Amino acid sequence: MSTDVTSHRDDPAMTITIARSERRQSLWAQTAAMSSRSITAFLRQPALVVPSLVFPLFFAALGTSSFSQAIDLPGFPPVQSFLDFALAGTIIQGVLFGSITGATALATDIDNGFFDRLLTTPTSRSSILIGRLAGAMAFGGVQTIIFIAVLLPFGLRIQSGVLGAAVMVLGGVLTALAVGALLSIMALRTGSPEAVQGSFPLLFVLLFFSSAFFPRQTMTGVYRRLADANPISYLVEAFRDLTIEALSLGAVVRLMVISGLAALVTVTMALRALNRRLVKP
Amino acid sequence: MTVERLDDTAMAAGTASTTAVPRGVGSGALVASALGLAVRNLRNIRRLPSAFLPALMMPLVQSIAFSGTFFAITQVPGFPTDRSINWFMPLAVVMGASFAGIGIGFSTVRDLESGFYDRLRMAPVSRRALLLGPLFGVWVRTLILMVIVIGTGLALGARLTGGLFGLAALIVVGLGVSVVGTGWGLGLAYRFGDMRASAFMQLGLFLALFLTSAQAPLSIMTGWLYYVARVNPFTPVIDLARIGFVEPGTVERPWVGLVALVLLAAVAMGFADRGLRRLSR
Repeated sequence: MSTDVTSHRDDPAMTITIARSERRQSLWAQTAAMSSRSITAFLRQPALVVPSLVFPLFFAALGTSSFSQAIDLPGFPPVQSFLDFALAGTIIQGVLFGSITGATALATDIDNGFFDRLLTTPTSRSSILIGRLAGAMAFGGVQTIIFIAVLLPFGLRIQSGVLGAAVMVLGGVLTALAVGALLSIMALRTGSPEAVQGSFPLLFVLLFFSSAFFPRQTMTGVYRRLADANPISYLVEAFRDLTIEALSLGAVVRLMVISGLAALVTVTMALRALNRRLVKP
Repeated sequence: MTVERLDDTAMAAGTASTTAVPRGVGSGALVASALGLAVRNLRNIRRLPSAFLPALMMPLVQSIAFSGTFFAITQVPGFPTDRSINWFMPLAVVMGASFAGIGIGFSTVRDLESGFYDRLRMAPVSRRALLLGPLFGVWVRTLILMVIVIGTGLALGARLTGGLFGLAALIVVGLGVSVVGTGWGLGLAYRFGDMRASAFMQLGLFLALFLTSAQAPLSIMTGWLYYVARVNPFTPVIDLARIGFVEPGTVERPWVGLVALVLLAAVAMGFADRGLRRLSR
């Protein structure tokens, strides 16, 4: 590469192109390094990530035994077992709580000064955030695969088949990106791991006032209105459609659009929060 | 007088053994020492509201969220009440009381790590006071919690079908379960001596309370949970807590719940006592 640069030194257009290419490669390399660090952190601290795998599975098992007779109630979607209904809630629950770990790590970086040290290096600013989010995305995808793989032997049926399951994994990745970016905003604004951890009750409330555990159609009054207004309801239902209905373009597009739009909005907000932090540390 | 002086300041100054210790070893001295520790525990509500408020908010939110989300479960044939708040509010009281108990485990871990507890043990205070003091504090916290959760539940439409006897049963169960939580929390705190205990404290009680009729009665339960819940001693305890809020006659043998509660409380406090003895060795 350096030989090429030397040989084209007299050609300004070529020099600019090569410089841009090198910068792009450098940006990719930095983002990849940050992502690798983030993913390694997940692997090195299983105690932090295991709860976000075990608890959703536990609740799925608990709900399946407790509410098996509820599937015959009016308003309940046609499912063969409560487990089919519960999968979507399990994925969202796992991804929500798993994303807290990634955002807490970002807040810890800010809190212990590592973030500032990174800023003194010629590292791309956005790669710091994108690297962290890549870790959350990888974990979200792995979580979705684990939930499906663990629940299949217990009678889970995915009506949309292998392709539908693959779309759900992609949906899990995008959802993790959306939630990870949302929580990163809190991390960037406060720089406090405790503040990010403190978002747990808020996520808990958001999850329960949605259709994650029971269909909206069975709710009444203010609960129904809250679930109707809660975006998590629509995300959960997009996952659920792929579990309990045959594969359709509509269901795939619905999941991709909802999770993709959520990711787009929250990542944009997170990048703005990053810029604000860089201006006013 | 003794009550006044048995606080952090006196103990931390190392003056506990000379000024704060009750004269004599009778039951009056024991109660005075225990009350001193209870007052210290209660002062922490004002000093560390961030530690108390989540413990208060969680059962409140759980009561409201579960009632709304699982509203339709009461329509399943054989469900012993037609109001979901009647079913989930007593559960929230039990959960809140148990977690108020293990809260004392967390603060004991802090005292052990800071060395304060060693100074406390060196003081000629009865060992039973070290167990009873925190317990008295937990009872006050539990009573505050019960007033708020039950009051909110009644305001949201909970109907007391069992009259004052039913309300008394819920209060007795709440106080009893807080003893179980206290014993469990203290026992683990003494054994681990650091924050590793906290995960076991929460997970242990969480599993014990949810592997019961927490979400649905045994009569409509299916699968593995039915067999686990049937032999779980917390099942009759939770049934007893609900006796005043379900159809009369649903809980056929309330005394089983009372016996189970007494046994669980005795075992938990025995566990704490053995842990304290081990710590002293």
